[in-house]
Amino acid sequence: MTDILSILLTAIIAGTPLLYAALGELVTERSGVLNLGVEGLMVMGAITGFAAVFATDNLWLGVLAAGATGGALSLAFGVLAITLRVNHVAAGLALTIFGISLGAYVGKPLVGQSLNLTEAQFSGGLTQLPLLGPLFSDIHPLVWGSWLLFGGLWYFSVRTRAGLILRAVGESPRAADAIGYPVMSIQFLATGFGGVMAGIAGAFISVVYTSIWTEGMVAGRGWIAVALVIFATWRPERCIIGAYLFGGMTIAELLGQAMGLGVPTEFLSATPYLATVIVLVLISRKDSRMRLSVPAALGKSLDIKG
Amino acid sequence: MINKTRRRLIGGIAAAATTSLWSNFAFSVLKPEEKLKVGVIHMGAISNTGWEYYQAQAWRSLQDKYPDRVEVTVLENVTDIQAVERQFRQLAMQGHQLLFGTTFSQYASMKKMAPQLPQSHFECCAGIEAGPNLGVFEGRHYEGSYLTGIAAGRMTKSNILGWVGAFPVPQVLYSLNAFLLGAQSVNPDVTLKLVWVNAWVDPAKEKDAVSTLVSQGADVISGSPNTPVQSKAARDEGVWSIGNTGDFSEFVYETQLASFELDWSPAHIEAAQAVLDGTWEPTGRWRGLGDGGFIRMSTRSPELPASVGEELDMAEAAIISGELKPFAGPITDQSGTVRIAEGMELSDDEIRGMNWLVAGVQGSVPSS
Repeated sequence: MTDILSILLTAIIAGTPLLYAALGELVTERSGVLNLGVEGLMVMGAITGFAAVFATDNLWLGVLAAGATGGALSLAFGVLAITLRVNHVAAGLALTIFGISLGAYVGKPLVGQSLNLTEAQFSGGLTQLPLLGPLFSDIHPLVWGSWLLFGGLWYFSVRTRAGLILRAVGESPRAADAIGYPVMSIQFLATGFGGVMAGIAGAFISVVYTSIWTEGMVAGRGWIAVALVIFATWRPERCIIGAYLFGGMTIAELLGQAMGLGVPTEFLSATPYLATVIVLVLISRKDSRMRLSVPAALGKSLDIKG
Repeated sequence: MINKTRRRLIGGIAAAATTSLWSNFAFSVLKPEEKLKVGVIHMGAISNTGWEYYQAQAWRSLQDKYPDRVEVTVLENVTDIQAVERQFRQLAMQGHQLLFGTTFSQYASMKKMAPQLPQSHFECCAGIEAGPNLGVFEGRHYEGSYLTGIAAGRMTKSNILGWVGAFPVPQVLYSLNAFLLGAQSVNPDVTLKLVWVNAWVDPAKEKDAVSTLVSQGADVISGSPNTPVQSKAARDEGVWSIGNTGDFSEFVYETQLASFELDWSPAHIEAAQAVLDGTWEPTGRWRGLGDGGFIRMSTRSPELPASVGEELDMAEAAIISGELKPFAGPITDQSGTVRIAEGMELSDDEIRGMNWLVAGVQGSVPSS
């Protein structure tokens, strides 16, 4: 029993960086901006978060630094994609290449360094609670944070007016502009939010997951997060399922091997991408379903005043 | 007047061309006061651990050995193969007479270039075989793995070892086979669980791989490429780790049972010495433990009992003297087929081309 629980917990931890990055990207894409720079933002978040914790021994300062870096870089992307109306795909790819290289360069002096954050993350009153206590002591606060984020985002997108406005901007920037919403500001906010989340996702990998710095820390998880948004058809509740599914797939791949189940590991490694392609095919089959799922103005560099 | 100038100009060009030709051809006669220029191209960044670190240690020790006679030019982070070729050519043109490649990935372009640039000599680490104007050198990693396996076999309580593999290439396969054979030499009941992460670098997945192995009972973790991430994960899980081609004891202290490291200094120093003496020949050097070797046992855990330490020392001496061959028969593979009969041993080529797993490994080679 404890075995199954610990396996589930590992899958949740593996899914957490995906969840942060994908929820952030989901908000960005809901506003019509396609940011393919998530991988680069995560690398930059991973190194700044790691460096901050390394210097201060404070998890929250690391999260703050990573979020700030991710946010700042994504706003730079916003200037290109939103203000200057550069092709989103090209600008995003540039951001990824830039982030990976800069992250490796900045992180060079820290390669091989490790963090020694104390194990107990939540302390005091919360862990003493009956029943819930162990949950607080076993589960990292950043995992709790991702659940809060999910809850907040779900509420935001289905229950609030602001969420509706965000979707309106992503569906038709011109219409939203015509009725008086500050479209570009909203897109900037959404892009910045996505960047902050990607930064935190990166920091989660370097600070919580491995707590040691080497190059190649993010290893393609930014791309899985981008795929995950499509898999989730731009809905937060499917995003959380997908994140744990994709995270669990990694664990299943390793566990299957260690238990000698003879699973085809390359196949499991490719599952997130395969699943995404299948979802794409499914939603593309019907025009109405396509329109209901994909933000209509996604990735389009529109001159909204035109 | 104009004619004269033109003639003088042409003459000047011819003279200049001759001089530069001469300087190109005068390579083999190094005057004693002239420094030998050595060029090294790293594929990745030089850090404090790992493959590139050991490559850097080699030219550093070359510099230390001949501070007045050798000058080393180092290029880092040359990932692109086209760029590798261009940079090597440039180094050769600049008069570098000895060029070191640092990875197998550079081998193909070096093999192509070496005959074309006879004014320089080429040496490739982890290259396949020596060719015209190209020497290769590689370590017998399995000798180190075998010894660390002895330590693991003595210290395991569950009789299950764990191995984190990147991709099933022969170098990884012969290391893990030797690790298990070493362990079985002192403890016949030992088995090894093998997990592939299908990535050269993915620290988070490596960590998960270690947790998974431990959850399945493994209590000594090794791997290749071995990283501090794996060792630290093992420590966090409360099990032993091994330093397989790297010493990670500064991260995990006493929980690293034993480690061995790479030492390419002899390769660099011998090659430079030969070029200085004018005796350089392209050779293939595949060496393990011992003086002038490329594999060196390094730290041991203070928790390792003295008797096991002595056992390691004896086995090391036996390997160096040639008395003990890690791949001496009888060895059966997973399917029960006898790969090498009693009294025989695997040839170097058979070891370098290994694509099977010894009996007792739980796991598989994905491609087959």
